[in-house]
Amino acid sequence: MSSSADAQFVEHASDKLPWSLWMRQIAAILRLEVKKNFLGRRAILIYLLALAPVLLMAAMAATAGGEISRHSGLAIIIFANIFEGFILRTVVFFGCAWIFMNLFRGEVVDKSLHYYFLAPVRREVLVTGKYLSGLLTSIFLFAGSTVGALFFFYLALGQSANSNYTFNGLGLGHSVSYISITVLACVGYGAVFLVVGLFFRNPMIPAIIIYGWEFINFLLPPVLKKISIIHYLRSLSPVPIPEGPYALIAEPTPAWLSVPGLLILTSLVIVIASLQIRRMEIKYGGE
Amino acid sequence: MAVYEHTYKPYAGKLTPEWSRFLIIPRHAYKDIFRSKLFTGFFALCFVGPLIFAIMIYLHHNINALLMLELRVRDLVPINAEFFQIFISIQGGLGFLLTVIIGPTLISRDLANNGLPLYLCRPFSRAEYVIGKMSVLMILISSITWVPGLLLFLFQSYLEGAGWFGNNLRIAVAIFLLSWVWIIILALLSVTISAWVKWRMAASAALFGLFMITNAMGIIINELFRTWIGSIISLSILMQTISDGLFGLRDSFDMDLNEYMIAPVWSAWMAFGLICALCLFLLTRKVRAYEVVR
Amino acid sequence: MSESSEQKIVFEGVSKFYGEILGVNKVNLLVAPGITSLVGPNGSGKTTLMNLMTGLIRPTRGRISILGTRPDQPEKLFRKVGYCSQYDSFPKGLTGFELVRSMLAVHGFHRKEAEPLTWKAIERVGLTDAAHRKVAAYSKGMRQRIRLAQAIAHRPSVMILDEPLNGLDPVARAETMRLFRQLAEEGLHLIVSSHILHEVDTMSDRVILLNNGYVVAEGEIHGVRNEMEEHPMQILIRCDRPSTLASRVFEQDSVVEAKLHKDRRGLFVKTRDADSFYLLLNRIVTEGHINVESVAPVDDDLNAVYQYLIGSRGEDQ
Repeated sequence: MSSSADAQFVEHASDKLPWSLWMRQIAAILRLEVKKNFLGRRAILIYLLALAPVLLMAAMAATAGGEISRHSGLAIIIFANIFEGFILRTVVFFGCAWIFMNLFRGEVVDKSLHYYFLAPVRREVLVTGKYLSGLLTSIFLFAGSTVGALFFFYLALGQSANSNYTFNGLGLGHSVSYISITVLACVGYGAVFLVVGLFFRNPMIPAIIIYGWEFINFLLPPVLKKISIIHYLRSLSPVPIPEGPYALIAEPTPAWLSVPGLLILTSLVIVIASLQIRRMEIKYGGE
Repeated sequence: MAVYEHTYKPYAGKLTPEWSRFLIIPRHAYKDIFRSKLFTGFFALCFVGPLIFAIMIYLHHNINALLMLELRVRDLVPINAEFFQIFISIQGGLGFLLTVIIGPTLISRDLANNGLPLYLCRPFSRAEYVIGKMSVLMILISSITWVPGLLLFLFQSYLEGAGWFGNNLRIAVAIFLLSWVWIIILALLSVTISAWVKWRMAASAALFGLFMITNAMGIIINELFRTWIGSIISLSILMQTISDGLFGLRDSFDMDLNEYMIAPVWSAWMAFGLICALCLFLLTRKVRAYEVVR
Repeated sequence: MSESSEQKIVFEGVSKFYGEILGVNKVNLLVAPGITSLVGPNGSGKTTLMNLMTGLIRPTRGRISILGTRPDQPEKLFRKVGYCSQYDSFPKGLTGFELVRSMLAVHGFHRKEAEPLTWKAIERVGLTDAAHRKVAAYSKGMRQRIRLAQAIAHRPSVMILDEPLNGLDPVARAETMRLFRQLAEEGLHLIVSSHILHEVDTMSDRVILLNNGYVVAEGEIHGVRNEMEEHPMQILIRCDRPSTLASRVFEQDSVVEAKLHKDRRGLFVKTRDADSFYLLLNRIVTEGHINVESVAPVDDDLNAVYQYLIGSRGEDQ
């Protein structure tokens, strides 16, 4: 059998890293995975989850729009609460858990991971491709969900309050912050759940522990608070939310530290995932 | 014409009684479940609560022990309806975690491995199958909720005297009923999810997410629309409402629920009935000896 | 690594344990180009050996090299290797064409290169008409063939095929075997596992017999048979005077048994040294007293080798 196709891979022979090959491989993995993430039967739950805050805000705009527009100051605090309590801690958390744990564990359950393992792809490239596909899906859905919720929130504010808040006040800045926080949440939670899906056969127990850890974050001493995603995300919130009477107060981490901190944590987690996947064997039995 | 010798004889011996046949499922399930040391450890931990509550009851009635610990009776939690309600809530919560761990595998494994026809091609009905699967959870959760709950109640009655028993019979009824509400809702939800979601992890996530997501949604709906509807959407507030109704208490957990957020007890019972009906409907649709593969 | 081992598949003292369960133990092999069949009963370690070769599992002990590449370097290994595994599962929602093309894209092929390669592979396995149908709607045989197409699409030098004839109808079996022969003639290494002994017998250049995780025999089938001295070779000689022939064959010490055929027109001879027996037979025939119609070994095939080496032990278990 001839090896005419090998011509494409001559870059292997050189000392340089084959970046263009890796890019092509990542693009191919992305195409396959994004299609699966959006069109698979498992995506239905994610759509419902992403739609929930939008529907809630739409219902609020339809029924309580007048009252909201009269008390716009209070409305801003209510939205901040909804964003943190529902969108961030529930929708993005559970959504990312679902999407990212599915990336590898789902394939083990479907008994199709070996197709990737039988391709000449560095396992690190595979992790990167899969992570990016999860990121693309989660950002599209959950940042979209935040945008949708914001849209109906503004709609409820009414036209005059709306333009005042958006263009003369802090509205635009707040909106950008909320969307950025959602994106960062996807980046952080995504990495954590990717690695959980790689390490555990039943990743639900660690996922519940992570949920508990994030949930009781307000009770933790400042040092421990920093070992969580929600601490950094809360620090970026444009409207600070009180954590209740039992909370141990910690100084919020400034944005210039929390954003790179989150990105560094994510990179570290991806490196761990890459090391783990190099050792991974295909054993489908018992799943 | 061929003449065949009929050597085959069908089984003509005695069978187990029909009413108890479903117990074969929990019997085998426990063998599997208790093979996990982690689960066995967790299950043992579920009995620490009853022990602590028993010690608290004991201390109430033992002056010498109180003196030794330099405590006064008024320093202790009073033994009343709230005491037992807290006990059942803690044990119910542990029951929930127990269900998240073992519930999702109950039917999903049979569906994933095409095991359902093996059960249903025998003199074993669909109802018996579902009851058998549910009984795995029912027996386990019973052993950590109403069984120790009633024992604690009897212990307190014994120490306090017959009058206390008669005056507080409602507490015993509430312990029993509330435990069964927990058991039924947990068993039905987990068996239904298990029947619809083949993948164990997804089923666990769905069960866990169902409680957490409906809780967050319920609170937000209450806040946004100044209504109590959210209180019956949130499964945890729903359970609290039923619990308050049974124990004759109001917002006992001090969840800072505004007046408008407190759902009437009848609505909570209705929501509970609706959830059970929905689960049963979904179960009858899915638990069949065949499956349409698309 | 020597130049010759760069052209071969090498196993050096390879063992694989699944906890306390033995997968394969102390395997030493040197596989040259051509068709090599892995034969053995269920659970003998055939799939374990294939998964070890492709890095899907890692050896507990020992070293494996596929044409000079270690299996833990997938980025290099799968440029040379194609594996048609036994897992009858596929990424969801893809057509046969999409499956093969997508996997070529994951290899790093550009779209313009991937498409013709995809069509070529699909054509070779005879699935052109069904290429645009969803894999989920394929029959078992079609799924088997699309897996084969996916394994050969990137033109590997080594093909590892786990039960590749499973689920195929007789025509497709014959075509697939023809394809294997063709690929072997092109210089490929083909490692095939199969249960169907007569098919293995007709297509393989070499066999590796496995039992309970151990390699019990390896090499060219007739060579393996000749080395089994505890099981004398049985030869049937069709002739006009079998009784006379029987009296003559015992001139040779290596002949251990002679038995007349039921129709009295043939003689079964059991010998420990087939080559010298054939020389003796030549001598007898040239003497002109006996007319020999045909000479054929009765148990010089894989089936017999399997029965002698594994069959009886298999029954014991």
